Amino acid sequence: MKSNTNSSKLDYLLAAPTLIWLTVFFLVPYFIVLIYGFLTPDIFDVKFEFNLDAYRQLFEGTYFRPFLLSVKLAITTTLLCILIAYPVAYLIARASDKLKNTLLILIIIPFWTNLIIRIFSWRIFLSYNGVLNDILLKIGLISQPLEIMRTDLAVIMVMVYVYLPYMILPLYSVLEKLDFTLLHAAMDLGATEVKSFFKITLPLSLEGIFAGVLLVFIPSLGTYLIPQLVGDQRSLYVGQVITYKIKNIPRNWPMASALSFGLLILVAIFLLIGYILLRKSKVRGVV
Amino acid sequence: MAVDGVDLTIKPGELFSFLGPSGCGKTTLLRMIAGFETPLNGNIYIGDQDIIELPPYKRPVNTIFQNYSLFPHMTVWDNVAFGLKVRKTPLPEIKERVSEMLDLVKMSDQHSKYPDQISGGQKQRVAIARALINKPEVLLLDEPLAALDLKLRQHMLIELMNIHEAVGITFIYVTHDQGEAMSISDRVAVMNRGKIVQEGPPDDIYERPSSIFSAYFIGETNLITGEVIGIEDEYVQLKCPMGDGEFFEIDSTFHFKPEIGSQITVSLRPEKIAISRHKPKVEDDINLVKGVIEDILYLGSHTQYIVTVGNHNIRVFSQHKRVYFDDAALDWEEEVWLFWHDTDSWLINELPDEDRMPAEGKAHFPKFKKHSSVLGDRI
Repeated sequence: MKSNTNSSKLDYLLAAPTLIWLTVFFLVPYFIVLIYGFLTPDIFDVKFEFNLDAYRQLFEGTYFRPFLLSVKLAITTTLLCILIAYPVAYLIARASDKLKNTLLILIIIPFWTNLIIRIFSWRIFLSYNGVLNDILLKIGLISQPLEIMRTDLAVIMVMVYVYLPYMILPLYSVLEKLDFTLLHAAMDLGATEVKSFFKITLPLSLEGIFAGVLLVFIPSLGTYLIPQLVGDQRSLYVGQVITYKIKNIPRNWPMASALSFGLLILVAIFLLIGYILLRKSKVRGVV
Repeated sequence: MAVDGVDLTIKPGELFSFLGPSGCGKTTLLRMIAGFETPLNGNIYIGDQDIIELPPYKRPVNTIFQNYSLFPHMTVWDNVAFGLKVRKTPLPEIKERVSEMLDLVKMSDQHSKYPDQISGGQKQRVAIARALINKPEVLLLDEPLAALDLKLRQHMLIELMNIHEAVGITFIYVTHDQGEAMSISDRVAVMNRGKIVQEGPPDDIYERPSSIFSAYFIGETNLITGEVIGIEDEYVQLKCPMGDGEFFEIDSTFHFKPEIGSQITVSLRPEKIAISRHKPKVEDDINLVKGVIEDILYLGSHTQYIVTVGNHNIRVFSQHKRVYFDDAALDWEEEVWLFWHDTDSWLINELPDEDRMPAEGKAHFPKFKKHSSVLGDRI
């Protein structure tokens, strides 16, 4: 596509509000976070004195455990989301147009309710005297209520529930565009259904998986709300640690800033790995 | 029902075409052979083996799909190697056979390109190589040239024939393009509404159509109905109404004996009719009618005249050969003589009926005009 200088000037003009907005409210705060990490903590705020304590603690591994927990949670959530979302997205993509729209709306409906309310309803559902235990007791599957609330299992269940649509939708959008006659071609050439899935469908939907992973993995890594509301309070995730550093007095803004930056770098590393893997898979038309 | 009561034997090594308008069931039939669709009942044999129960990947057939369906994430080489790879052929053998195939379709120098980097004609070649490398007993081609432009189509048609000759396996070709089917096939089956209307070598179908549908779908034709008024040894005499209670009489050779007094149709190809403004010399086996030129369409290699004879609009193709005619000077509204040999028309034991017409043909169906005064002569 060619555009003359006039219209490209206009393009910049039209993009200007967004660019300014992002610069002011996105890049500048990041810069502030970066600077705060090198300051000295005070009871409520910071003293403007250069101090490397926060980054020293970060790299000495004082907070290794919350980082490890967060990475494990993010990976588990992402993998479970892929496994559950793929068949769902495939089904929707192959459904008739009318059914397709109905199913898509069903996927989107949870967004109409506030996240906190949805998490609280999970608490009611999972608690000791909750709906799930009631049902399991009634049908005689268990003789004593299960302790699901406030465990890592509860965190994973709610995480998968919350992030599933973010995996289904990008997967659906690539599978919907997938030319299913390619599967016929593969079968015609001697590939079984399973083989044609792994040789054709899966490689051609990697783009969607990658997009879904971005949408699920990154927020999962910094999640705070869900472990706070349904998780075991003895195992803290990075998001919770950062919050406590700011919430609990004496406050430690530099430590919170350093942890946030650590999280940012971690995300960047995972993104890079994902990007390289995707390039290596030699799938064209992606990235 | 998409396909109904098709009973057919295709000979080994034959290039067989299914020809018909869209929706006639030809593609469904092909998909049944490939295994993507299951008939309610019936069998499909390849050699002595009934393949009806086999899944597509176990059938000894391969398909060239309408839009080639090349795998977009694989190079030309990987596309061609796909069939061998999924069957776990040893790599040295794959390499050898892929390069052999790429040579056959003249794509060796493009082997590392991706499908979106090559042209339509090249994609077609890759699709052929990808199918043939599996050494199928039958190659199915589903409108393989539909996506190409005219020049390339003609070129690929010749190339397909050469490849067919080189590999010697059975080709089953599906198309709605009668030109393709006629030029490439050993035998053609004309299909309409899930049934085979006629089956035979191309010239047989063109020259001796068994039904109004095949006469009209293959090439162009004039259909003239008339009452049988006499039968001689060689020909029948027909009395054809032309509106306003007037008639013209024509003779035609016949291949079945119609009853005197019955209504019958004559198929008369436009290129078999000669046109002249001067009354030709009278001969015994010649039909002669008089008409008025209604329309002239200059088509380059020939001119199409639509000549009104009573309530008939008769189409005439005339090539520009000055040694035969002075047709260049023919003009609208001019009175002309149409004449053709008795043996150039063909009797069909059906009456024209909108239902039997292929959709494309309907527009050209002879219109019945109210005004008419021109007399046709029978000499």
